[in-house]
Amino acid sequence: MASDSKTSTQPYAGLRVIELSDDPAGEQAGLLLAQMGAHVLKLEPAEGCASRHTGPFAGDKDDKEFSLAYWYYNSNKESAVLDDTGDGKVSRLKALLKDADIFIVTKQPAELEEFGLDLNELVELFPRLIVLSITPFGLDGPWADYLTSDLVGLAAGGPLHMCGYDDHSIPPIRPGGNQGFHTAASFAHTSVLLALLSREQTGQGQLVDVSMHEALAVTVELANPYWFYPRVLVRRQTCRHAQPTMTQPALFQCSDRRYVYFVLILAENKAWSSFVNWMDSKGLAADLIDDAFNNLEHRQKHMAHIHGITESFFLIHDAETMYREGQERGLPIGVLNAPEDLLEYEHLQARGFFDSVDHEGVGPVQYPGAPFRFSAFSGVARQPAPALGSAGPVPAGEEVE
Amino acid sequence: MGVGSIATRLLADYGAEVIKIEDRIKLDMPRRLPIYKGGSRAFGEEEADPNPDLGGMHNNYSRNKLGVTINMRTEKGRELARKLIAKSSVVTENFAPGIMEKWGLTYDALNEICPEVIYARMSGFGHSGPDMEYRSFGPVVQAVSGISHISGLPGEEPSGWGLSYMDNQAAYYNSAALLMAILTRNRTGKGTEIDVSAVEVGISLLGSVMLEVSANSRSTRLEDYPLGNRLDHPLGAPHGVYPCQGEDRWVAIAVFSDEEWENLIGAMGHPSWSQDESFSTHQLRSQNQDALDQHISEWTKQHTPHEAMTILQRARVRAGAVQNAQDLNEHDPQLAHRGIFFEMDHPVIGMARFEGSPMHFSGLEQDNWRSAPLLGEDNHYVFKEITGLSDDEFDQLVDEKVI
Repeated sequence: MASDSKTSTQPYAGLRVIELSDDPAGEQAGLLLAQMGAHVLKLEPAEGCASRHTGPFAGDKDDKEFSLAYWYYNSNKESAVLDDTGDGKVSRLKALLKDADIFIVTKQPAELEEFGLDLNELVELFPRLIVLSITPFGLDGPWADYLTSDLVGLAAGGPLHMCGYDDHSIPPIRPGGNQGFHTAASFAHTSVLLALLSREQTGQGQLVDVSMHEALAVTVELANPYWFYPRVLVRRQTCRHAQPTMTQPALFQCSDRRYVYFVLILAENKAWSSFVNWMDSKGLAADLIDDAFNNLEHRQKHMAHIHGITESFFLIHDAETMYREGQERGLPIGVLNAPEDLLEYEHLQARGFFDSVDHEGVGPVQYPGAPFRFSAFSGVARQPAPALGSAGPVPAGEEVE
Repeated sequence: MGVGSIATRLLADYGAEVIKIEDRIKLDMPRRLPIYKGGSRAFGEEEADPNPDLGGMHNNYSRNKLGVTINMRTEKGRELARKLIAKSSVVTENFAPGIMEKWGLTYDALNEICPEVIYARMSGFGHSGPDMEYRSFGPVVQAVSGISHISGLPGEEPSGWGLSYMDNQAAYYNSAALLMAILTRNRTGKGTEIDVSAVEVGISLLGSVMLEVSANSRSTRLEDYPLGNRLDHPLGAPHGVYPCQGEDRWVAIAVFSDEEWENLIGAMGHPSWSQDESFSTHQLRSQNQDALDQHISEWTKQHTPHEAMTILQRARVRAGAVQNAQDLNEHDPQLAHRGIFFEMDHPVIGMARFEGSPMHFSGLEQDNWRSAPLLGEDNHYVFKEITGLSDDEFDQLVDEKVI
């Protein structure tokens, strides 16, 4: 297995990973390792793991081999069934771990006990093994067995409080795409790297305990420092930074009903003149070209007026044009792309970002590639996620003691 | 700014000697953000001439690092930077594209000064492609990568993100990229240039909606998208954020099965509405969520967020108080037990809190040896001990305002 690791061009070449995970945090962590060259064997119950059943499904075909959630998180892996009801499952698992470098496991403490798995014991049995535990709240503490979901995790962890609309009669709104789980996965990835580097020095594996709750509690940007220092809370605002006070809106709707994100920092003279020149080039700067507006205090006093003119300016042009022209003038403006826009985005095409993966019976499907580029080596292009149990049965294990 | 500082913070936390090079004339943004003890202003309203050593954001992002100042506009400054690079093994930057090139600090040049160097370039759009020079910060990356668009109430303007989530995530990916490069160099002896685009990281985090679009040609610009707090995959009902006692206080609840539903209505005392035919199956509860949410809200309004969370979790229901930073820091028993926040003294700011690590290792510890450096605090140590300047050379650079 490790024969090609000296010369291989992939960071994780030669590493064997056993993944026993049933949520997107563990699946995403396994995916990152697989995309960068590790051999990842995913263990699933006889009916297949949860993401095979949640959908969405390719062609809306409700079938465990067509789940897009499964495809997304499990490409580049192999799949084997570990019957989690039968006797002997722990010894089967241990037989696999004997030759593994990394074991990813998402079971919470009570689930581990029920399964008959003691993570500390695994580290003792297999001294080079890195046991990566990724759980909702960590392996100990009063909430260790509390249940979670992406929404619940984002709520308790802190980011949700910052996201939503100016109108606070509307509840905080969950940002889309499993970002609670993904944040845990990012720390899981980094922690494995630190453990691998440590193993190079000591020859020893170890137990790594990553908590989604904690990962989120340190991913709230301004909210923590505003509490650590002035001890004030930030307040959510529509699609812009939650802050101690309400600020000017930053989303502008354009003529094609699409939006751009644009914050005009009034205190920056260079940005101000770029913006006024841009509006003036279309004859739409109105009185903002008056000398009085070169004065910051005057601008601050007339913020609402400036905002009104800005709104009209964007409303009569399409979003793509505004994005391009603003950026050409050095203004940090962003168009709010929809996922379907990204497939047509020339810049991404030029960088070859999307991988085309051929799925039998469906055809080619565009996947985001690994977002890491190295001049000296590379990862692996996306491969289709495996059929359930396609790596063959997990052999009965001999007792490993 | 954020991405570079957070990415190298992780390396500093775990034992790397990280030297942060700063500019005395144009202060790094986290030093300028008006987040001070005893004073609160929105960011964007920073002072014209702020005290560079008072900023809390900088303290949080640059703890455990060494700090030096170099005026890179001068040839002597650039020469000093090259000397320092020659003594290093990893170089990171997250300037606007073109700045490092202007200073002659390309990968080839660095590799000559420091053979088999790892050179990490952390940018918004990456270092190739037609838009590589576009300017960005967190919210722009979030807009362009699609993760703002997929967040909000159906048919309304996107609510997106209330933070620079992508500054954090891009930083985490950059930390991983640096560590992968080090791991690989240890094995092969070869250095590398790293190009991580925050926009591409954002797209890779979109999740399965990206495949719904590419495999099923789904449009996400119709009136039924996004779903607000509801969830189709897996199907949740109820699945939402409900009002509680107190001003702007909420609890999140997610129910994915009949068993969880039974637990929920049991915890609420089997209210009579819960026996209604329209709530008799998971599918029906999903179809009748407007009415369902009304009933749930009537119950949650009688409780504080933490009461509701505790009652529901004890009944095995997925529920979480919507916690703010005060809750996280002062009230959350789990975070307190796990010790996620810690304190260190700072010569100007005094005792301050820091964000710790959500990674708990049986064989590694975070090394918190100092709070963030004052501006240029480590010039003596770094330029004399590491780069080997004589006292005279050092004094001359001070006189000429190069450092």
